[in-house]
Amino acid sequence: MRKPASKTMALTGYRRTNGAVGVRNHVLILPVDDLSNSASEGVARLINGATALPHPYGRLQFGEDLELTFRTLSGHGANPNVYGVVVIGIEPKWTDRVASAIAKTGKPVETFSIERHGDLNVINAASRAAYRMVQDASELRREPIQVSELVLSIKCGESDPTLGLAGNKAQGRAVDRLVDMGASVIFGETSELTGGEHLIANRCATPALKRKFMQIYNDYIRMIEDQGVDLLGSQPTEGNIRGGLSTIEEKALGNIQKTGSRPVNAVLNYAEPVKPGQGLVFMNSSSAGAEQVTLCAAGGSVLHFFTTGQGNIVGHPIIPVIKVSPNPITCSTMSEHIDVKLPDLLVGDINLDQAADRILEVFIRTVNGRMTAAELLRHNEFVITKLYPSA
Amino acid sequence: MAHRALAHKSTDDVAVAVADLKAGEELSIASLEGGKVHKVKLLEDVPLGHKIALKDMPSGHVVIEYGEKVGQMTQAVKKGGYVHVHNIRTLRWDYGKASKAKNSRKGGRR
Repeated sequence: MRKPASKTMALTGYRRTNGAVGVRNHVLILPVDDLSNSASEGVARLINGATALPHPYGRLQFGEDLELTFRTLSGHGANPNVYGVVVIGIEPKWTDRVASAIAKTGKPVETFSIERHGDLNVINAASRAAYRMVQDASELRREPIQVSELVLSIKCGESDPTLGLAGNKAQGRAVDRLVDMGASVIFGETSELTGGEHLIANRCATPALKRKFMQIYNDYIRMIEDQGVDLLGSQPTEGNIRGGLSTIEEKALGNIQKTGSRPVNAVLNYAEPVKPGQGLVFMNSSSAGAEQVTLCAAGGSVLHFFTTGQGNIVGHPIIPVIKVSPNPITCSTMSEHIDVKLPDLLVGDINLDQAADRILEVFIRTVNGRMTAAELLRHNEFVITKLYPSA
Repeated sequence: MAHRALAHKSTDDVAVAVADLKAGEELSIASLEGGKVHKVKLLEDVPLGHKIALKDMPSGHVVIEYGEKVGQMTQAVKKGGYVHVHNIRTLRWDYGKASKAKNSRKGGRR
């Protein structure tokens, strides 16, 4: 019998006042809208250790699209990897709306609005707030934590058939072990389940979840088909095709390998919150790397596993993204981007359990503070999913 | 043993090259899930990650990989041939049929 990996997982992290557990300790400077990017980035340049999240939206959005932008912004503020947040908006009302959702976690939140003050006064005052927050955050110590206190997430990108054969199979085995130890693991990529959607539907834990999953899936596919265009080159991407993937079905069947074999215990829409202990969770999402990672972080993921064939290099400003690849060309030509290299699995020199061990060993070190390739290379992709044009 | 190509299931129609392969290579292709080993002589070069036909397939043949339908041949391929976007196409996505139907419904109402 295999020794359960939990015995060897000595993890440390940051326990927040609401009990949520993070693996990083960021202070965020969060712009509510595009107009507030300059001031937010100004503060982040002045104060060492402050992280700005610039983005192009937040004006004249309405309905479900506005709610998703708010949920994405406040979800990042509330994420357990974040110690405290300075929220900056053009006017006070929406600024307070984002800030009050974050403040429910009990973490420090301060708000600034630009109208009737100007960028320079806001940068002055917000920098002083950020200065205090970063200093307080720097005194927080890591403490022992359990895997069962963590929300994690997975995605693959610039996929090729080496993932379905090897990389995603190993990732799936690692996901099974993490779920068995009590972690929540989010997966998404709705359109990229096409051809294997019945396999996910059949793993939904209840008939109600299965119906909800198929509804979300069918709505997404209808949106795609209504465009009336051939998706070859977009889904699969030109990178996928270069790597050997020929159809969406083939891509999806490879994709699904990384979800492992456990039941799907929850079916959520974009950026809805996830709690530890939920097991495997489906979250509706685009299959574009940065959009999906951003939605997972907004839902509360504190660490992301990203398997890649041809070499997707995505990262995220507040959650570490562990890059896993079995493709020998990618591992040698893009070595600095790959945290876990598995070309020996591809040709059968190691088995899936050994490959999963290798992924989980890097997981433990990353939780404990080891920087990922994406963190070292400043891959800070933060991309809000937009549902339709603004008013 | 270092594999040169692998199938997901021994009953699949295609296997995947796990190294860059050259025409003329004689391959013994095993499956991840065990079962029959396919003896295949490669008819074309197949790059790492790309697919090899494990049997003769006519145009219109529904191709099985992972034990599931992954597409349809748009041209015939011989055992040992190269299978990719030049000769296989998705069975999914509706390429405008849905929206055309929607438009014609709209048209009907006018």
